[in-house]
Amino acid sequence: MSINKDTIVAIFLLLFCGIMINSSFDIEDPGYQGMKASFWPTIVLCLLSIMSLVMLVKSMMASTDSNLNSENTNSQNVFLKFKNASICFLMFILFLGFLDYLGMLIGGVLFVFGLLTLLGGFEIKKIINHLIISIITIGIMWSIFTFGLKVILPEGEILRIW
Amino acid sequence: MIDVILQAFASIVLDPVTLGLMLVGTLAGILAGAIPGFTIAMGVILTLPFTFGMTAIQGLATMLGVFVGGFSGGLMSCMLTGIPGTPSSVATTFDGFPLVRSGRPGLALGLGLWSSFFGGMISAVILVALAPQLAFLGLEFGPWDYFSLIIFALTITVSLSGGNITKGLIAGLLGLFAATVGEDEINGVARFTFGFDEFKQGFAFLPVLIGLFAFSQLLTDVEDDKRAKSPLMSQSGSVVKVEHRQAILIILKRWVNLFRSSFIGIFTGILPAAGGSISNILAYDQAKKASPNRSNFGKGEYDGVIAPEAANNATAGGALIMMMALGIPGDIVTAVMLGALMIHNIIPGPTFIQDEPLLAYGVFIAFFVAHFFMVGLQAFSLRIFLLVTKIPMYVLASVILAYCAIGVFALHNVVFDIWVMFFFGVIGYFMKKLGFPLAPMILGVVLGKLAELNLARASGISDDLLLFLSRPWSLFFLLMAVISVIFPFYQEARKDSLFSKFYVPMSMIVLSLPLFLMGSPVRMIVATILVLTGVYFLYKRTSSLKTT
Repeated sequence: MSINKDTIVAIFLLLFCGIMINSSFDIEDPGYQGMKASFWPTIVLCLLSIMSLVMLVKSMMASTDSNLNSENTNSQNVFLKFKNASICFLMFILFLGFLDYLGMLIGGVLFVFGLLTLLGGFEIKKIINHLIISIITIGIMWSIFTFGLKVILPEGEILRIW
Repeated sequence: MIDVILQAFASIVLDPVTLGLMLVGTLAGILAGAIPGFTIAMGVILTLPFTFGMTAIQGLATMLGVFVGGFSGGLMSCMLTGIPGTPSSVATTFDGFPLVRSGRPGLALGLGLWSSFFGGMISAVILVALAPQLAFLGLEFGPWDYFSLIIFALTITVSLSGGNITKGLIAGLLGLFAATVGEDEINGVARFTFGFDEFKQGFAFLPVLIGLFAFSQLLTDVEDDKRAKSPLMSQSGSVVKVEHRQAILIILKRWVNLFRSSFIGIFTGILPAAGGSISNILAYDQAKKASPNRSNFGKGEYDGVIAPEAANNATAGGALIMMMALGIPGDIVTAVMLGALMIHNIIPGPTFIQDEPLLAYGVFIAFFVAHFFMVGLQAFSLRIFLLVTKIPMYVLASVILAYCAIGVFALHNVVFDIWVMFFFGVIGYFMKKLGFPLAPMILGVVLGKLAELNLARASGISDDLLLFLSRPWSLFFLLMAVISVIFPFYQEARKDSLFSKFYVPMSMIVLSLPLFLMGSPVRMIVATILVLTGVYFLYKRTSSLKTT
């Protein structure tokens, strides 16, 4: 018997199913005839629980080659492996968090510039390139959506005050 | 009918705006197909936000341009650099690249281009002929049959998406669950909203799709620091003159291979989730088995280029048949098109061709026209492709991530949709890392509401659950679902095992039962053929067991 990534995922899924099944009891029943609103989600969650249980059993019976202690899960390797993805996550959260203040135009330019620089490097020549790329690409996209497709993109408090 | 066809023709061919949009779409598709790391599905998904402001036919025509262009775009990178641009052009590399290296790049590109064109044309004819017939068949379906068809579509997606079947089923169920969040369509009752008003509308289809597919793919593309910073391709190839005339003559001389490969492509396209990535390899394999020059395969054999390219473009027509006739997406691309139709308040289903004939025939015509654009744009797109390959992936990924946010916002003008995209992007990224296929989850999200609606209709008509088993079409789809779930075990089983010997004949015999129950003479004949073939295989395999 071994504990590996799949075991942890299966346990997480079982917990998720438990919470959601519990939450399905709170779904209101308006008393209409026919299928209740909670019926279909409950079926899906029950099947999901069964499959998660199958995954748990299979993962515990599997050989230990993908064990948690293996070299692949070394904390330094994990950091390096997910470094760029984490940068993207962080930048996207910042972009969304400040969208109300910066708006889509300024926020978009800052997001692309920040992401390009963090992923591509901090040399002066690259930074200038990144700035040009971010202004041009976001400028074009913003113009297409605002003027071409008539979509009112978030203006942001800065531009509104200005 | 002719009036409708002429009107549809005019709305595509005589409208310069639609033609212009298709031209841009086809060019974008060729580039998306040519760039490794990008897929055709991603190209179509990223096109969707631009289509909100268009009419339904313009939007669909643009996406069809991307779809058709994408299949042929893959051949440029695989032939000129030896790296397949999309999974659907993997087999083209086997003989296309050696043909280029032997000093015939113009002929190699010509063969690929015109095989794609002819394959697409054959599938377009089949699409026009078969989709209305299949839709006519679909009118027989009741809610029980539809529900079972959706279950079959999900299970076959799981079994064909590769990898672990348990994880595939979990992904599909997670997709079905995601579709239940928000107010249900039958009673209008809020579900799993946890007190947040934003959740009441549920997760919109587009943010979920872009998040799961495009966002997670972009994160994967920039994962490797070194690869993300280097240009998309180290070998970028050079501009070549395509030998059109000679390529057409060679292909027409090998028409058997062309037709066989096209039909493999169409059939694979009709199966949910089995797209060009499977059909090109299947067609290549069949061409190799049938060829008298088997030893030349892998060394620049013409048939080895014709087969995969004809098959992958024909797959597009096959996938459209299911979408147009039954409203069931054949793959992720047609799932996006289904979403595009829903944005315009059009629900595809068996009555789609009858209810929206202008749009339906517009799709047929756009599919034809896109192939002409594909051929015309190839030389121009080759030059752009050579420029694009010099851009590092991190630049493309950063810009496209921002574009995804803008595109998703444009759907309902709410920031919540961007959060949904981000949330599903993170989920999709980790699911991929943990070995979960994303296609079943996407199909689960697309088909979830439809499944629930049909289940509710079925239970509203009758409480008898046995109707799912006693109605022939429902039984047929449920049996197909069971067979498709077992299919991965059949693939893994040893060739000499009892299970692998009896899987195919037993499936044939079992499937004949609902066909017999349907009663019509044609279906009885098909059922009899199935039983006889199954029994024949069973007899042969049993006697081979006795001799060993």
